[in-house]
Amino acid sequence: MSDLYNHANQEPPRAGLILLQALILGVFCLFSIRLWYLQIHHGEDYARKARENQMRQESVFSPRGLIRDRNGDLLAVNEPAYALGLVREDCPDIDKTLHQVAAWTGRDFDELKKIYKKKRRRVKPFEPLILISDLSFGEVAMIDANRLRWPGLEVQVRPRRQYRYGELLAHVLGYVAEANEKEMEKRPELALGDEVGKQGIEFMLEDRMRGVKGLVQFEVDVNGRRLQERTLKHPRAGHEISLSIDLGLQKLAMDWLEEEAGGVVVMDANTGQLWALATAPSYNSNDFSSGLSSEQWAELRDNPLHPMQNRVIQSVYPPGSVFKHVVAGAGLHYDMLDPKETVNCTGQLKLGRHVFRCWKKGGHGKTDFMKALVQSCDVYFYKMGKKLGVDRMSEFAMNSGFGKLTGIQLPHEKSGNIPTRKWKRKRFGEGWQGGDNFNMAIGQGYTLVTPLQVAQFFAGVINGGKLLKPLLLKDDKTVVKGRIPLTPEQLKMLEDALIETVDSPRGTCRRIRTKGVIVGGKTGTAQVVRLTDELKELKDAQIPYKFRDHAWMAAIAEKGNRKFAIAALVEHGLHGSWNGNMVKAIIEYLFDGTITLKPEIKKQQAREARLITVPSKKKKPAGAQ
Amino acid sequence: MPIDRRLLFYINWPLLGVAILLFLLGVLNLYSASGYRLEEGMSIAPYFNKQLIWGLMGMFSMIVFMFFDYRHLKTMAWPLFWTTVLLLLAVFFVGKTIYGAKRWLDLGFMNFQPSELAKIAVLIVGARILSKEREPLDFLRLAYVMGVGLILGGLIIKQPDLGSGLSVLMILGGMVLFRGVTPRVFKTALVCIPCLLPLSWFFLHDYQKQRIMTFLDPTKDPLGAGYHIIQSEIAIGSGGFWGKGFLEGTQSQLRFLPERHTDFAVAVFGEEWGFAGTMLLLSLFCFFLYQMVVIARDARGLFGSYLAAGVFFYFFWQILINTGMVLGLMPVVGIPLPFISYGGSATLVNFCLVGLVLNVSMRRFLFKQ
Repeated sequence: MSDLYNHANQEPPRAGLILLQALILGVFCLFSIRLWYLQIHHGEDYARKARENQMRQESVFSPRGLIRDRNGDLLAVNEPAYALGLVREDCPDIDKTLHQVAAWTGRDFDELKKIYKKKRRRVKPFEPLILISDLSFGEVAMIDANRLRWPGLEVQVRPRRQYRYGELLAHVLGYVAEANEKEMEKRPELALGDEVGKQGIEFMLEDRMRGVKGLVQFEVDVNGRRLQERTLKHPRAGHEISLSIDLGLQKLAMDWLEEEAGGVVVMDANTGQLWALATAPSYNSNDFSSGLSSEQWAELRDNPLHPMQNRVIQSVYPPGSVFKHVVAGAGLHYDMLDPKETVNCTGQLKLGRHVFRCWKKGGHGKTDFMKALVQSCDVYFYKMGKKLGVDRMSEFAMNSGFGKLTGIQLPHEKSGNIPTRKWKRKRFGEGWQGGDNFNMAIGQGYTLVTPLQVAQFFAGVINGGKLLKPLLLKDDKTVVKGRIPLTPEQLKMLEDALIETVDSPRGTCRRIRTKGVIVGGKTGTAQVVRLTDELKELKDAQIPYKFRDHAWMAAIAEKGNRKFAIAALVEHGLHGSWNGNMVKAIIEYLFDGTITLKPEIKKQQAREARLITVPSKKKKPAGAQ
Repeated sequence: MPIDRRLLFYINWPLLGVAILLFLLGVLNLYSASGYRLEEGMSIAPYFNKQLIWGLMGMFSMIVFMFFDYRHLKTMAWPLFWTTVLLLLAVFFVGKTIYGAKRWLDLGFMNFQPSELAKIAVLIVGARILSKEREPLDFLRLAYVMGVGLILGGLIIKQPDLGSGLSVLMILGGMVLFRGVTPRVFKTALVCIPCLLPLSWFFLHDYQKQRIMTFLDPTKDPLGAGYHIIQSEIAIGSGGFWGKGFLEGTQSQLRFLPERHTDFAVAVFGEEWGFAGTMLLLSLFCFFLYQMVVIARDARGLFGSYLAAGVFFYFFWQILINTGMVLGLMPVVGIPLPFISYGGSATLVNFCLVGLVLNVSMRRFLFKQ
């Protein structure tokens, strides 16, 4: 036993005892200060955070504004869509739950896991993270029935944009899709998964179209079930808008464009309102609101006809003979044109060693102003162009609305190109040449325009010279952006020439003559490439699709006070006269309400035309004949 | 053996009282953290009942630990040490794997964790070695003492159970500090330890590094690892001066606070009882620890002193680390708060150790010379 007690009388180390007491005191002080800091100094802040924490808030979705056509027909509405949300905080086993979701909906577990991982950083633990945004009714029923066994899952109803006529108006309406990072940065009110307008009117009028989200507050228990709910803010739907577009006319135009690549603009010449803005091929706006699959996207992107391209405002083409009215206008404006003076057209005109040909091989003979426009004599305009020179032609064209934006309320409009001496030097490093004048005078060469600009110009010809901003909303006020610098008499001369082109037995637009309506028109054929000798030998139908000329037609139609300007373009449509039937159908619809659809046989021909393969010859840029 | 009446008289009643009081506060807090507001079948009421039963068993064990003479432990120290080492080794061969770590021995009726035994063994062996030291420890003696700890700690860390392994080393380390080291050792340690600490970074698991990084900036990962810290601070901070009242803590009741019945139990307490209540709890713990200092001071014989100091550090580290973590002063490590956190065997061990120091205290006047 003695060994047990042999140190019994030793004193414990004094320093050690002091150390222990110091440790107690130190910890006590440290923790007291920290408690004071948390509970007293910042107590209020934390109390506020705690209130926010237990009171969850949730947005109440507001529907986007409805979109109607000019007659009140609904174009874009909102339908309930069911989304599956996962509230992390309430979900005891994420992987197990995701497996179950995969089993219910037939989706891939890895895919779901990927979505979850991608979004989890940006969604609070007690906010629903949207796993699937378009549940079917069956899936909703399945999930709802099993809700209690799978805490953390929640079906959300949110409005989803639905376009009644998906492909008909895609380029006007645009589409909505999930907001990306950049958009969310720009508009802080947007949350992950919110839809925003990405194209068209939906994009341009985003602020008007999007409503204001509501807010509910609720207390939650362990399983995320709501104990009490209170509305903090009622949602407000977006503004409804009415387009100036006439659905019937748009349908008609799209039917005529079917199987073609091209565009049609119908503009009210008094107001600038667009009654139709058709471009083909198109895409379906609805594909975007439910999320485009990568295959769908690839198909759109790789389609050689570029369905996403709005050919009326985003594509630029050489205007061809349609431009002759602009050149004629310039001649009148600069007083360099005597309408009575004639030119002898022999079918060609020499400039140095180069021969410029008229489209009519035998020539038009004695040709005055009216005949030149009605029969589209090239030689007359070669001479006109030489007389005027590039400076006057381009000045007049620009004052007539070409080479600049029309200001239409759609994104990505192109301005086209009106060449000048300076431009050519900058672009090609060489000076303007005589031949360039010739080309410019017949709408070839470097001049590029959009169909919308053409419609705007011809509307100006019949409305007293006003260049109107093209409007897409029915309630928009007419805006005069400029004036064609011509006197009423001079304008009348241009208009008469248009009408004569339809009425005269030798006019190129006879087929658009419409009973009871004053109709005028001008066709145009815009060369895509300078045809090689080999191709020149071929008959029209044998020329490969992509080498065929673009077909233009500009038209005016008036009856009483109602005046319209129409511009139609069919890519590779060969001769402009081809569009006549379509333009006539449009005029009939506008004034009589008659609907004439495109015959199947034409659609068939268009389909076949595109199938003709291209011989392996080098493509050359458009140029002089 | 007839019990000497004086033994009862010399029991450190304040320590006994404060231990039981802390336990009762813990049970009360657990009741609140159990989520009484939740509907039937969802609450964690079983924790509350279990804790009560473990507590009663603990108090019974405490009495058992009071009534044999602690000085017999001195002779049992080495056998106890080797037994522990054998059991720890056994874990590697016949251990049961739970949650990916081999820490348990299946005794049939319960799972036994030898690392718990190691914490007791280390303070008994430590007390025996250190009580024989007449001078402050020089390098050689320090190496010998810490070698004993490293055997136990190393085996535990290998399981892997870094927390328990470090606890063993820290208990022993505390006892060494209590004993005192030579100035040379002290100065060397003062220079070397801060240099060696960064090196330990390379031995940490990724999740442990993550925790430390998160601790340094919880807002960096507010929805992941930083969530615990932020929620804990919100719960405590929102308590204000008087607290939200018993069972009224919204953060804990609505389950925004994770681990609220175990590691973050004191956050529940802080939310419901506020600054006033938490300061009281803190004072009780200080009083509790102080009583052990008193026992170490008055013990008859150095073995008793070191034993008391060992138990002191056993509790001290847990209180420091757990509270520090909950208050956002330290990285999150899974260490419970004695008596307040839920935990069966921990409660049992806590009461046993209180019994042990009470044992030391009641025998302080025996065998006077």
